Amino acid sequence: MRQGLTTKMAYRYTLEILAVIAVVAFCALFLYTETSTNGAEFAGSDDAASQLVANLTGTSLENFHPVIPQWEPPSGEIESSLFALQAAIGGILVGGIFGYWIGQKKKA
Amino acid sequence: MHIMEGFLPLQWCIVWWIIALPCLMFGIYQLKKLVDLDREALPLLGVTGGFIFILSSLKLPSVTGSCSHPTGTGLSTISFGPWITSVICMIVLLFQSLFLAHGGLSVLGANIVSMGIVGPLVGYGIYRLLRDTPVNIYITVFLVSALADMFTYVTTSLELALAYPAETGGVVSSFILFMGIFALTQVPLAIVEGIILALVFKYIVALKPDILIRLKIFSEKQINAARTDN
Repeated sequence: MRQGLTTKMAYRYTLEILAVIAVVAFCALFLYTETSTNGAEFAGSDDAASQLVANLTGTSLENFHPVIPQWEPPSGEIESSLFALQAAIGGILVGGIFGYWIGQKKKA
Repeated sequence: MHIMEGFLPLQWCIVWWIIALPCLMFGIYQLKKLVDLDREALPLLGVTGGFIFILSSLKLPSVTGSCSHPTGTGLSTISFGPWITSVICMIVLLFQSLFLAHGGLSVLGANIVSMGIVGPLVGYGIYRLLRDTPVNIYITVFLVSALADMFTYVTTSLELALAYPAETGGVVSSFILFMGIFALTQVPLAIVEGIILALVFKYIVALKPDILIRLKIFSEKQINAARTDN
């Protein structure tokens, strides 16, 4: 009886369990990469690609100029706060609407 | 997946803009029709679009020792198709071009093609292929999300390779080089993204099965099976 209940619970929450395993495995992989790779900087892959473009063309990175002038965040702090703003916009949308749906369901 | 401003020759910027523009215009037309006809679907649009905002802001470390971000386009692709998804991607990518110097206005066309058009199109193809089969709907969502993410980065690699063929080996060998940077980094991220979005879809199924059935995203039978099974 108890056994049956546990199996049923495990089946019901398969996706949650898989998500936790995936996140933990992802963190473990990160820690492994961090400790095993000497000098892993974890810079953006976008920048790595830009560097490769520079290598392929034989021009140094400083010689690439924006085609259309653009504003750049003056520091990493400001950049990260703007990224957080982007995530917050998404979070408000998702949280707000899920809350609205839960409210609707309770009312019905 | 951003090509940085200034890192794509002008002629290629124009090519990708020319490909992106009709897709965006069709997306805006579809979006307008959706807003006019079906206001009940708007919250679903908000949730699926919200996940694009959240996931594309998270830059995560990966096996290659560099960081990259998921795209989050899977849910919106399944719910509203690739064209509306490309409009949402345009908004996110425009935000990142203007305020974060990630990508830029001249390369926006190329970045929309990779994240907003080719990725979602591949995902949508898989969805259409699996929708009418007995495959579990969460596996469908997983595959659509993970592969839309992967193919976004494959496309970015191709865009860069076409613009910068290697001296020996041409486009193919520089494509392999760019894939080494983008695709390899992306594999673990795409898998995690697929599982997370499948989990989110489970909650949408639990809260709003009627919308999913009415928009014919999955059949009533599939949705009900997913509800009692999970």
